[in-house]
Amino acid sequence: MIDEAEPGYRWEAEYEKTWELLQEDEAGSLQASVDEIVQKAKRKRLLDRPINVKLGIMRHLCVVIDMSDAMNDKDLRPNRQLATLKLLEKFVEEFFDQNPISQLGLYIMKNKRCEMITELGGNIKRHTTSLASLRTMQCQGEASLQNAMEMASQNLRHVPGHASREILIIFGSLSTCDPGNIMETAKAIKSQNVRCSIIGLAAGVYVCQKICQETQGKYNVILDESHFKDLLTEQTSPPPAVGVTESSLIRMGFPQHETTAGIGKSSMCMCHIDSKDSSQGFGKNGYFCPQCWSKYCELPVECVVCGLTLVSAPHLARSYHHLFPLQPFAEIPTADIYRPNRLCYSCQKHLSEVHAYKCGQCSHVFCIDCDVFIHEIHHCCPGCASKRTPQL
Amino acid sequence: MAYRSDESSLLIVVLDTNPVWWGQQLSKPNRDLTFTNCIEELLVFCNSHLMMDQRNKLCVIAAHPSKNKFLFPKSELADETASDDSEIMRQTKSDGQYELFAKVSETIREEVKDLIFSDTSGELHADCMLSGAMSMALCYINRVEKEQLNKESFSSRILVIKGSEDHQSQYMNFMMVIFTAQKQNTIIDACILDQESSLLQQACDITNGIYLKIPQLSGLLQYLLCVFLPDAKIRKKMTLPTNVKIDYRAACFCHRNLVDIGYVCSVCLSS
Repeated sequence: MIDEAEPGYRWEAEYEKTWELLQEDEAGSLQASVDEIVQKAKRKRLLDRPINVKLGIMRHLCVVIDMSDAMNDKDLRPNRQLATLKLLEKFVEEFFDQNPISQLGLYIMKNKRCEMITELGGNIKRHTTSLASLRTMQCQGEASLQNAMEMASQNLRHVPGHASREILIIFGSLSTCDPGNIMETAKAIKSQNVRCSIIGLAAGVYVCQKICQETQGKYNVILDESHFKDLLTEQTSPPPAVGVTESSLIRMGFPQHETTAGIGKSSMCMCHIDSKDSSQGFGKNGYFCPQCWSKYCELPVECVVCGLTLVSAPHLARSYHHLFPLQPFAEIPTADIYRPNRLCYSCQKHLSEVHAYKCGQCSHVFCIDCDVFIHEIHHCCPGCASKRTPQL
Repeated sequence: MAYRSDESSLLIVVLDTNPVWWGQQLSKPNRDLTFTNCIEELLVFCNSHLMMDQRNKLCVIAAHPSKNKFLFPKSELADETASDDSEIMRQTKSDGQYELFAKVSETIREEVKDLIFSDTSGELHADCMLSGAMSMALCYINRVEKEQLNKESFSSRILVIKGSEDHQSQYMNFMMVIFTAQKQNTIIDACILDQESSLLQQACDITNGIYLKIPQLSGLLQYLLCVFLPDAKIRKKMTLPTNVKIDYRAACFCHRNLVDIGYVCSVCLSS
């Protein structure tokens, strides 16, 4: 991780006595202080999120993967290319899980050029099969950041104004081979409101930092594989909106689901209409577009006949927890709690650790496992959900 | 795929104890199902679940209008020592019944009594805090998963027995519950006694559970044993009630009507 260019580099800063952070307990084990540091890091990430900032919920993200010589390096197991592809497969799933109405496109940088692997779209299977096919591709040549940014921004140009435009570059080499002035390209994409983030695999590179600073993206260099995974997970949450995004109302359809139990007739669905396998997609099951009644197997999808975006209510609800984030719980010492009540409210476990966590709104106490579970996965406090609030 | 018999199952029953609805059942002419009968039938169902496999686990949560309470297992504080009298009484009461069943029956009956008598607020509400109870169930599943020795796999499911009606204010919390259950591979089943609930229909559809509105309340135990007792592996081999047409339309923020085509704000996703 690089500090700001202005304050200087780490070797110029004050002497940090990091060994004093670790304390041994009576048995001589460091496990307790290691756990504490890990927990602090987790909570810091939760607390760091800015509140009351407009987020880009409908996202169009172009992922650019470096396929230059540097990716053959074996510092990630088995080599950088395969490790990256494996993590990206999980990233794609997680991305569509957290942002169901978004679109993703894949590109690679190879031989000083940029090639498109998949177009911007919302179909997970297409992306995962393309990523799998990249495993056999050989990495060669040099990476070119400018070509990648230009190609990605060209494809993002057609995206409507209300959606966020993002580029994520996985950069393994230490140099870039560009046909022109890369700073001009950076300025050009900034004027298009594109946000460019870079994850470096090798070391910190000045030009990457400058690009990310210019476009309000994030630049990080990985320490190891688990840090890489953390950085990718960070990219799945919606970033603050860049520039002035118009807040318009978008017309969407909520199709009804017909099942085999209904009286309707069998028909062919529009997603499989071009496939050679005629057994797929024919039947009574499916979602019918409310405007033109064409059938689709899965949502979300854009109707090819009438152009209406089709979603279901749960898809929209999936993004609600980003918009209404759960407040972090206050840390209180367990000794302060009156003895018979020393139970976690949600799992009834006896509170044996030093710290317990209390919700600011419903004042119920939770154990640390439940606290992490509630904030990372569940996003809803059981105590507040059990309390009857006066009707708004 | 071979049937793996080494997977144990955790069942969490969320019981709706809304006094208004249960009171109305008592005043009906034919008295199909009273609260005490329901508790008895639930106990038979719970014991049957525990009999299916040695390692099966059980948890019962009551969803009340003003709060939610764990009925079983009863959390005992480590430093609370039971007095000798109650210990002896507990042993003589078992009279030949399998100890675990006796413990389950006794604990649930005591806790239900405690719950009803402690509700002194006097407010009447037509719904219950279902999303809160289900959140607690999910946290409990998370705890059991962490406590599992040998990393044995187990499947978990939540059975909701509900009579009172839905309340729209619980929509958002309910959606969070559904997504968490989907992530944890937890199945949500719904046994509906009176009014249809679109939230539970969506929950059962997304998590591959069974949604059933009981046609005859007096046959509750039969439906519980035939439809909701089998776990996920066995369900594939049985013919169980299929899902009805589910309404996935969103409600518009201005009139709360369900819409087919609507306008969604790009920033905050209100429609």
